[in-house]
Formats: sequence, C-alpha cells, structure tokens
Amino acid sequence: MDICYHCGDQLPSPSIPFDHKVFCCQGCANVYSLLNSKALKDFYQFEKTPGIKPNKGRSDKYQFLDIPEIRARYIQYEDEEIARVKFSLPSIHCSSCIYLLENLAKINTHVLTSQVHFAKKEATIVFDRNAMSLSEIADLLQFIGYEPDFGRKATNHGIQKSFLLKIGLAGFAFGSIMLWSAPDYFGITLDNLSFRNFTAYLSFIVSLPVFLYSANAYYLSAFKAIRSRSINLDVPITLGILALYAQSTYQIFTQQGPGYMDSFAGFIFFLLIGKWFQNRTYQSLSFDRDYSSYFPVAINRISLNGLEIIPIEQLKEGDRIQVRNEEIIPCDSTLVSDEAKIDFSFVTGESALVTKKKGDLIYAGGKLQGLSIELSVKSVTNRSHLTQLWNETKDKKASNKLIRYQDRISRYFLLILMLVALLSGIIWTFIDPSKIMTVIVSILIVACPCALALSSPFTLGNTLSVLGKNGLYLKNTSVVEALSEITTVIFDKTGTLTDPLAYSVHFSDNKMTKERWRVLTELSSHSTHPLSRIIHQHVKAENTSIHLVNFCEHKGKGIEGSFDGHQYRLGSSTFIGLTAKNVRNGTVFFSLDGEVIQEIQVTSAFRAEIPQLLKQLSTKRIFVLSGDDDKDLPELISLGFLSEQCFFKQEPKDKAAFIAGRQKNGEKVLMLGDGLNDVGALGTANVGVALSEDMFRFTPSSDAILDAKHFQLLARFFQVSNYAKVVLKVCLGFSITYNLIGLSFAVSASLSPIVAAILMPLSSITVVFLSSTLIHFKYWRGIE
Amino acid sequence: MGMIYLMLIVSLCIAAFFLLFFLWATKNGQFDDDYTPSVRMLFEDEPKLKDE
Repeated sequence: MDICYHCGDQLPSPSIPFDHKVFCCQGCANVYSLLNSKALKDFYQFEKTPGIKPNKGRSDKYQFLDIPEIRARYIQYEDEEIARVKFSLPSIHCSSCIYLLENLAKINTHVLTSQVHFAKKEATIVFDRNAMSLSEIADLLQFIGYEPDFGRKATNHGIQKSFLLKIGLAGFAFGSIMLWSAPDYFGITLDNLSFRNFTAYLSFIVSLPVFLYSANAYYLSAFKAIRSRSINLDVPITLGILALYAQSTYQIFTQQGPGYMDSFAGFIFFLLIGKWFQNRTYQSLSFDRDYSSYFPVAINRISLNGLEIIPIEQLKEGDRIQVRNEEIIPCDSTLVSDEAKIDFSFVTGESALVTKKKGDLIYAGGKLQGLSIELSVKSVTNRSHLTQLWNETKDKKASNKLIRYQDRISRYFLLILMLVALLSGIIWTFIDPSKIMTVIVSILIVACPCALALSSPFTLGNTLSVLGKNGLYLKNTSVVEALSEITTVIFDKTGTLTDPLAYSVHFSDNKMTKERWRVLTELSSHSTHPLSRIIHQHVKAENTSIHLVNFCEHKGKGIEGSFDGHQYRLGSSTFIGLTAKNVRNGTVFFSLDGEVIQEIQVTSAFRAEIPQLLKQLSTKRIFVLSGDDDKDLPELISLGFLSEQCFFKQEPKDKAAFIAGRQKNGEKVLMLGDGLNDVGALGTANVGVALSEDMFRFTPSSDAILDAKHFQLLARFFQVSNYAKVVLKVCLGFSITYNLIGLSFAVSASLSPIVAAILMPLSSITVVFLSSTLIHFKYWRGIE
Repeated sequence: MGMIYLMLIVSLCIAAFFLLFFLWATKNGQFDDDYTPSVRMLFEDEPKLKDE
C-alpha cells in the first residue's frame, strides 16, 4: 500500500494518514472525509482509487461567474427559484465520477439535481438560485477535484438528431416496401392487377419523404459542387437517385409495374448509415479550440474605485490589470510591478521560470508564479503576439483542403458513365429504338456508386477507431488519407522531443564531500520548489539525510540551513549572493558560507524512444524546429538527428514559413508540436498533430491529438494509414466490379427490379464487410 | 383477397407506429448519451436510517 487511497498517486514522504487510510495530500484527505461524512462511501466501491487530486485554488477563483454578463453565458435556464447550468468537466473519467457528480445534492443541499453526460464529459446541474451562487457551484466542483473548463464550446447536437431521423425514415420505407415486394422477389406474379397497383402506389407514398427529406443533403452537395465547377461523388449519386426515382414514379403512374422503390429506399438507407459511421468522432476531445479557451474568461481591472472584474472582451489598451499567482497573462502588456516570475512552458515548452523586471514587455500566454503583479495592457488579447498567428492560420487551412481520393475517382467515373450511356444509346437506335430510354435510365440507376460511396467512410472510419485505440485521435476521416501521403516529418523540440515530465540533472561536482552531499539531500527535501524536488529525487537514493538546524525557506528564491556551524544555501544565483551573470534557466546553486560549491543544471530529458523512432522513419525526411538556441545540438546528434536537419531560434512565424517552403517543393508535411507557439505550424502543415500529456486539457487546434504515452508508435501510424489506403483500393475495386456487372444488365436492357434489388444491397454489404474485417482483423491486437 | 389489403395496412400501421416511436425517442434525447445511464442504474440508494 504505497498509493493514495483517493487518487492513486505515489505517496510522498510524509504521507497523510486519516481514518486508517493514507493520502498523498491534504486535498485528497479532505475530499475523502467530505464523502465519508455524507455517506457517499460507495464512491470507492466502483473503481479503485477513483479520485482526482484536487488543485489548490484561491477561494475567489470563480468570482467572475457572478458577474451578470458572464453568468448569463453559462446558465441555460432560470426562473424565480431554480437555475440550470452546464459545466464541462474534463476530469470525468470513470463510473465513480458519475456516482459522485450525480450525488452532488447529498454534499450540498442547495443542489437539486445533477446529471452527467459521460461521453461529452459534461454535467448539468440544477440548483436553488436564491441559496447558492454560480461561483459556489464551481468552487464545490473544484474542491472535489472536478475543475470546470470554461473554454469548451457546446457541441452541436441538432445535426446528429436530424441525421438519425433521416436514417429512421429511410429504414422504415426500405423495410415496408420490401414487405409487399416479397412476391416479386420469389418470382410469383400475381394476376390481380388492382393489388399490384395498390402496392405500387403505397410504395410511392412511403418513399416520398425519403426522396424529399432523407436524401436532401446529397442534392445540396451535388448542386454546390456543380456550381463551383467541380465534381464530387455526390454528383453521380444524385444523378442515380433522380433517375431511379423518376423512372419508378413513371412506371407506377403508367401502371407498368412496381418500379425500383425498394432499391431506392435501401440505397438511401445504406448511404446514410455510411455517412453516420464517418461522422462519429470523439465527443470528449476538442480539435478546434481557439485561443479564447486558453485565456481566462474574466480579468481583474484596477480602476479608480479599486478592483473590478470585467469580461476579457472589455479589456482596452492602457488598462491597468492585476494578475495573481497561477493566472495566465491575458494580453501583451508591460510590467508595472517590480519583478515577476513567469512560466512560459505552454508557449515555448521551456519549463524554467523567466524573470521579468519593471517595464519589460510580457507576451500573453505565460502563467504567473508567485506574488500577484500589476500590468499595463499594451494590446488586447485577440491582437496579441500569439493569437495573431492563430487568426492568420485559421483561414489558410480551409483553402489548403485536400481533394479526397474518392472525389478524384468520381471524376473519371462520371466521364466513363456518360460515355457508356451515350454509346449504348447509339447502339440501341439500330437494334430497337423504343428501348433507348429504358436502357439509358437503367444505366444511370445501376451505375449509381453506392458501394463506392460506402467504401471510403467504412474503411477510413474503421482506421480511425484503430488509431484511436492506440492513442492517436484524428479529427475526421480525411486525415487518414492525408497521413498516408506524408513525406516529411517535422518535430518541435521542447515539449515534443523532450519529455516535460522527465528531467536530467547535471552536477558540476567541484567541491563536494560525502557530508556535503548529505546536506544537499536534506536541504532539497524540505523545499516545495519544483527544481528542488527534482534534485531531491536524484540524490536521495545514494545519500542518507542528516540533521540540520536553522531552516528557512525563502519562497521562490531558495532554502537555507545550518550544519556543524556552517551555513548552507540552495537556490538561485541572487539568493546565493552572486552578481547576476549570464545564468542559464534551470540552474541551481549550492553554497557553503557564501562560497559556491556546486552548480546544478536541471534540463528536461529527451524521450527515450527517439533513436528507435528515427530508424523506423528512415524513409521520411526529418526536421527539428526549435525555438531555443543550439545548446542541445550535440545531444540531438547523439540521438540520431543530423545537424543539417536541426534549425534553432525559430520564431512561431519561421516555423510556419519553413513548412510552407517545404510544401512548395511538393512535400507533404506532418508537424508534431505541443504548445501555443506551434499553432501556426500545426495549421500550415498537411497534418498537424498536437502531442499531449493530458488529452482532455487544453491542446492547440490541430488535425489530430497524439497521447504522449504513445509517442513511439508514430511510424506505425503511417503504416496503418498506408494499409488503410490499400484496403480502400480493394473495396473500390469490388464496388466497381459490381457496377460493371450491373452495367452489363442495363446495357442489354434486361435490368429488372429484382436484379437491382439484389445487386444493390449485396454490393454495399460486401464492401462494408470487407473494409471492416480487413482492417480489424489485421489490427485487433493493437498495432505494434 | 380482401384480407391481404387489410393485412398490408395493419402491418404498415404497426411499422409506422414504431417509426413514430423512434422519431419521438430521438427528439426526446434518448440517443444522446449511450453510456451514462448504463452506469447510473447500478447505483444503489442509501438505505434510510431510522431514527432510534
């Protein structure tokens, strides 16, 4: 038992015992005792260590939610007594979470009901509006470990619903018409003409809503394509639908026969199912986040009457604002306070704190560490240094849209179709001119590329789910195609090639003795500073601790203590008393009576899988673009990169320009990045992949999100996408073969409704079966 | 022969009933979340402690 009972984290020393259980921090213990007191112990029954370590937050963190304008954004419904709010809670991850969140009413009696949508990671909470404010609900959620995310936009659900309605209608018509067409299928011709007419009219009535409503997206798409003078697959589909429906209607009303209404409805039914399959995506991930979800919703502005909270949109140039510990700098601004320590890790990937002095310009996106500061706004958020890049690349992507393989084929398809129809028309004028119309219409019907249209969504959709199981989440199926065409892979360095959670520690080792190592071990164990903790992890294995006196920690500077009459200090250069020379970020000094005896360099370590990955990627061109200087070049070379592949001091704009240059040479580029500064590059690349340590947290907008745990699978993902392309070609081959068989019937004027009714579902089902089995059979055990 | 007309109409009516039921269920949000309810049904209500 060395994990926390609540959150399952490794226990630190000393751990916190409570109620015969052990916890890693006071936060976890607090949540446990709260749940315990409210008889919600079942929380720990469904899963082992289901809890989330709560983040320590300030008590007034969510105060901004009580400003009427901001409150109105989140409240869905409100009357005299109750209000309903929907929060996005990214930390929802197991059934115990559902249990806890749906029992909020037991924790706080002013909460009336709460309901969780697990897939979307949302909770809808109804509460007594007179007894409780919105910020109190957010505080409660934060306390039990579910920090609300205010950046996510509500997913559009209307489209999905109407889609289901369309499928339902088409399925109903398909089944019903098949029912009374059954005699035809078995070759039983009923002599009773009035009954045949009756069923024919019934078919017409039932399929009318399918024609008018279920299929309308195809007409629209085909119309749009023709108007922009291009051809997509929806054009021959629409042509087929119209021919099929017109021919059938004509036959029914001239009482020549029942028409092809069963084929028609089934056709639409299969097509819609294919489309539904293609559109299934990851509801809980968000690929299109813009900068507004990264920055805070509200800002503290310093005005004449003290502090006031305003929405971020109301910020103006020249405003004075206050930013507090752990808050994000919302806009480019100059520092008014004396000094500030800022963590730019999400912007640059560098985890060491950057110190800014009074009057310095601070770019938006950094996170403040330490005492609160005062800033003067230089430019508002949507025009700041980083977000500008975001705005620029947003439009570029749309024009950069790739032409799908399917659409390329459909051009030839339509051309050949027209040719065949024309030729057979000419031939039939010599054989039997009265059948020309029948032949041409049946050619259009049977050539309708239903199976062709299904092969792409099912092949790519199955690939999408295989990749998703292995940690690569694609935005949509067209990314699979783009992935298979990649020739060039570009890595960002910090945060992508380096692992932000792993560190390497270098000691200068000049004047150390056994005793001094022990002092260092003891000193570092008492500080809460991240650098100090990393050092402690490295030295504690070899050194036992020692008893020190006169401890004193100076927050954000260092820690001191005495042993045997000597004073030891561990901390920054200024804390040690060195005059500010050019000190690298992440350097810690260890001094004895004012004299430096050890210089410790903490840098983030490169991922261990890199050399192996590079070997697997040998067929691709590889580049590294780094925002840093070239201090890491030797290490990159030792990992297997060539020095001409590495480019340093790359500004966000340079990265995007570099990729655009490569694309001009005809290369297809995949960019792997992680931070805000990669947004431009991710947007420009053919496939932009955001690498993420925690996927449900903020990721820059991208085409795909890669779980950092599966970084080493990158080369495999290319193989999977290539295989998917082969499967796609096989399926296309099959569907075209079916179309050719159908065409031979049509050209010889012998296409009966029964042939159409068999051929059409058969071809669709073959393709669906083939694509699913080929992909899942190969990768059912994972892709390694 | 008259029977088959009746049968057809009845069967169509039954199918139409299920279609309407499906449309209602969709609009009512029955297909919005296909995971949470399966977990929710497993939660037991706490037995109410009687005052002694």
